[in-house]
Amino acid sequence: MGDLFTDTIVISVLAATIRIATPLILAALGELIAERAGILNLGVEGTMLMAAFAAFIGAYATGSTLMALLLAVLAGMAMSFIMVFMAATLKVEQVVTGLALNLLAAGMSLYLYKAFFAVEGQAMPTVAVMPVAPIPFLSEIPYIGPILFTQKVLTYVALLMVPVVWFFLYRTKYGLEIRCLGENPKAIDTKGMSVSLRQYGAVMAGGALCGLAGAFVTIGSSARFVPDITNGRGWLALVIVIAANWRPSGILIAALVFAFLDALQLQIQGIGVQMPYQIFLALPYVLAIVLMVLKSRRGRSEEPARLGVPYFRGER
Amino acid sequence: MGLRLEPRLAPSARWQAVSVAVALLAALAVSALLLESAGTDVGVAFAAILDGAFGGLRTTAKTLAKATPMILTGLAITVAFRAKVWNIGAEGQLFAGAMASYWLYTLTGPALGMALLPLLFAAGFVGGGLYGGLAGWLRSAFRVNEVLTTVMLNYVILYLLSFLLVGPWRDQSSFYQQSERIDRAAWLPDLWAPGKLHLGFLVAILAAVAIHVVMNRSWFGYEVKAVGLNARAARFKGINVERTAVAVMVLSGGLAGLAGMIQVFGVNHRLESDISLGFGFTGIIIAVLAMLRPGWVVFVAILFGGFENGGIKMQVATGAPSAIVSAIEAITLLFFLTAAALTRFRIVWRST
Amino acid sequence: MQPFLKVDQVTKRFHKVVANDRVSFDVMPGEIHCLLGENGAGKSTIAECIYGFYKPDEGTITVQGNPAGLTSPRDAIARGIGMVHQHFVLVSSMTVLENIVIGTDAARPILDLKAAAARIREIGRRYDVDIDLEARIWQLPVGQQQWVEILKALFQGARLLIMDEPTAVLTPQEARRLFQIFREMTADGLSVILISHKFDDVMQSDRVTVLRRAKVIGTVNTRETTKEALTNMMVGRSVELRVKRDEHPRGAPVLEVRDLRAANDFGTEKLSGIDLTVHRGEIVGIAGVAGNGQGELFEALIGARKTRGGSIRLDGADITGRSPAEIQRMGMGYIPDDRFADGLVGDYDIQSNLILGHHRREPFARRGLLQFRAIRDFARKAIEELEIKAPSETTRTRSLSGGNAQKVIVAREFAQATKVILANQPSRGLDVGVIEYMHERLLEKRRNDFGILLASEELDELLGLADRIVVIFKGRILGEFAAGTADIERIGLLMAGQETAGKAEEIS
Repeated sequence: MGDLFTDTIVISVLAATIRIATPLILAALGELIAERAGILNLGVEGTMLMAAFAAFIGAYATGSTLMALLLAVLAGMAMSFIMVFMAATLKVEQVVTGLALNLLAAGMSLYLYKAFFAVEGQAMPTVAVMPVAPIPFLSEIPYIGPILFTQKVLTYVALLMVPVVWFFLYRTKYGLEIRCLGENPKAIDTKGMSVSLRQYGAVMAGGALCGLAGAFVTIGSSARFVPDITNGRGWLALVIVIAANWRPSGILIAALVFAFLDALQLQIQGIGVQMPYQIFLALPYVLAIVLMVLKSRRGRSEEPARLGVPYFRGER
Repeated sequence: MGLRLEPRLAPSARWQAVSVAVALLAALAVSALLLESAGTDVGVAFAAILDGAFGGLRTTAKTLAKATPMILTGLAITVAFRAKVWNIGAEGQLFAGAMASYWLYTLTGPALGMALLPLLFAAGFVGGGLYGGLAGWLRSAFRVNEVLTTVMLNYVILYLLSFLLVGPWRDQSSFYQQSERIDRAAWLPDLWAPGKLHLGFLVAILAAVAIHVVMNRSWFGYEVKAVGLNARAARFKGINVERTAVAVMVLSGGLAGLAGMIQVFGVNHRLESDISLGFGFTGIIIAVLAMLRPGWVVFVAILFGGFENGGIKMQVATGAPSAIVSAIEAITLLFFLTAAALTRFRIVWRST
Repeated sequence: MQPFLKVDQVTKRFHKVVANDRVSFDVMPGEIHCLLGENGAGKSTIAECIYGFYKPDEGTITVQGNPAGLTSPRDAIARGIGMVHQHFVLVSSMTVLENIVIGTDAARPILDLKAAAARIREIGRRYDVDIDLEARIWQLPVGQQQWVEILKALFQGARLLIMDEPTAVLTPQEARRLFQIFREMTADGLSVILISHKFDDVMQSDRVTVLRRAKVIGTVNTRETTKEALTNMMVGRSVELRVKRDEHPRGAPVLEVRDLRAANDFGTEKLSGIDLTVHRGEIVGIAGVAGNGQGELFEALIGARKTRGGSIRLDGADITGRSPAEIQRMGMGYIPDDRFADGLVGDYDIQSNLILGHHRREPFARRGLLQFRAIRDFARKAIEELEIKAPSETTRTRSLSGGNAQKVIVAREFAQATKVILANQPSRGLDVGVIEYMHERLLEKRRNDFGILLASEELDELLGLADRIVVIFKGRILGEFAAGTADIERIGLLMAGQETAGKAEEIS
């Protein structure tokens, strides 16, 4: 076991942690904005999956990373548009809508992939994976350099988004209004401001972040698309928001915890320790349940009071 | 100002029917577009689906067999959603039931013959029920969101299954992750062998009848619905909301577990991850489309069973991937939710 | 002088219900104008029209001589109209400052809270309102939350303040303080529209416009009228608000609460040692400003809220920590303050709601199955007896009016309870007729030797019904008055937490 703790291995595990945390951070931040606006978007998994597929198509068709990212963001926004339309305009039960989105994404991505890409008897199509972009000078700092500053652009974006989202939510008027929606939307309505307009904005901005998260799952990490490639990361993002007590900084920490676990199991598998790998694969999900139980025992929750509750004006 | 929705005082039955029909047509239209975009002949495809679903007695029987697990998962979701307990874990509970019944089988072997069947059913129900009950308990005791726990538990049990199938329950003669084949003596008896229709279908129908009675005629169902509609008032009037939620999850998980047992002993005749084609998730769509009514669950599940089988036929006939079926199902759900919402509101065009 | 606001022939319909029928009145600068009327007379609706929240179907609203064309509160705010809703629209987890700043031009894309805070403090000083801007709303007493609402409106430059039932949540002393603030505002030329059905408020206004069944009955100068005349205009007949409470000997203690402690859902202590006794054949009234623990007390008594200490005895038996089901079985009935949220399953029909609590019992259930014939018969009888206005026993309770919904709850609880009736604000939001009916039924139960615990924000109701009145403040009982000796002034001081006030009269 001593092998586990050499410098190179520690660095590689920590670097992998940051890498693996990328989509979790992005998706959880996106979900945070939506939930702060009072919309419980359980469709994160599906939103990420559609975006992952869109990014794959974009990269495959154009070869341009930028186009791929753009498509992923658009896909994320389109999916979250459905979510917010159903939730804010039609006032459909948000849990059911979110689930419907996941099922839609699973079915659609599978069908479209099989219809257009997985042609029988041919090799699976591949795209170029985003390259690592070391930041000049910073990446040469011992330890920190290879861990923090030798990552892909999307990873830098994700880390940067943590303070950005915090600033947005707590230091701008839009953030103030969005947080107000999650707590008492009537306070917005009685000021003559549109509740649903703001919810559309919040959920779709969140969808854009989920889109980036999805893009990282395909073009950020894998040359191929496989069905259900997001493999529960969207659901973990939802857990992360809870474990983070609806705070951006908490999201960073919680995402890193999950990612570290994953990075560690990759490392352990890599050096061939004899243990059933299924245990490690199941660990994040068990940890998620444990975290939620622990969270429930903590004091004052920051959970938005009106999360998941549709707003009616009360006009009889 | 544009489009605005106002709640209707009384949803009219006529509009409800019309909007559901419109939703189905819209879903069909979108599916046609999807097929068309991939260069598939839509007419041929739809005809193949219909033919593969209900074209002849034997295919219809196969459709009923296919629908069997979906009836049960649909009922599982129905029970849970009625209490507004969002059980997304029917898939995991199905596997829990399958594993519990298979475990019992590994202990007893086929020697008991037909006498074993009731025990296997019981094991399936208990296995799924305990796994569902776990999520229910976490919800009631710790106020942990059951959507997330059930999703997490879905993943956990699949990895557990995978562990067992490469470990203690592995079929040594096979390359795949699967158990050994179950002895014919322990198979579910056929109702009609040519259509591969087995006893499980009858069990599912009986379950639907039972759930109908429980939900609409018993005080337990009365309490479940009261908890779902207004948990506060229910609590104030002496209904134990926490205990009801756990009971609902046990019943819901048990129904899903039955589906798992039936798949193992009636269809696949071995334990493997292929016993479910996402039936736990399809059950959600079925239950919602059936407006959480057990009778309608049977109807919609049979329709979906037809879809699934018809999809395979369509793939053979046109080359279009049968995955279109799950896309159609999800699209139907979204349109249905929209339509159902519209019946609850009046659309009002407001000028500024 | 030109009126600040002129409402001319405004009609507003909801579906087919006419809420305002050609309503006209005007408000002068520097005037306190009262809108008086029963519940459902259309006061709040016309206020929401003036505030732009509802759009009138007909008629015009003119502000300072210009047709306002109000389609959104935004327009109203721009024209100097502010509104304080009866149920405050504040975000309880946010600070006072954040609440005031939301949606104002002080909130530039990037918040500049310092400048806003300075302006708010200045407004506060002018009207002698001192409030901690960094406090979170949930930390403030209700009276101060109201100031936040007023500051919100003034910060946006309101020249006309619409106050919907502002004194409902205040002690008489706090209410007086509020009117002082109004007077300082009107001295500055600001106007106030005061919506109320309390005569103490009404008589402090300059003019009164009386609404009845969606129509304006008339506008009068307050100085030139009397309570009796206004009552007559309001209900169309003069009503004797006092119910007849005959003498009735009280029996043994039936509900004994000792040192009861409990917390709210967030873990904040809301009951800090309640001592209370209700005897058979006695009505005990609880006076107090909403939010001082009344809700938690009732929930603890019916077993729906965990207690942190103390004991509850029902007819001698210790019921502390028992479940709601057990406590109800032992004879306790409960009429909650929020009918639709706490008392009814809105999507269940009348008959299903009538058996709620007894749904496992004979004759309503046998061998686990519901007996629909028995349920229907029971429901039909109840509907007939209580004159519940509904098409049939299978009508959803959600579609019932407040009064009829309350009757369903009363029918159920009176049928189920055998010893004690708890009633939290049972007449809130009801018409005079239904209130009278409620009161008669409560007195009837008193004659049948039930112990009754009644909480109300209407002191008149308590003075009329209760044999004894206790005052609750911050989770403790501060004083107790016998029916004859109670005096509003002292009760009011106790409601505000001034403990010494009632000592002399205490009879415990």
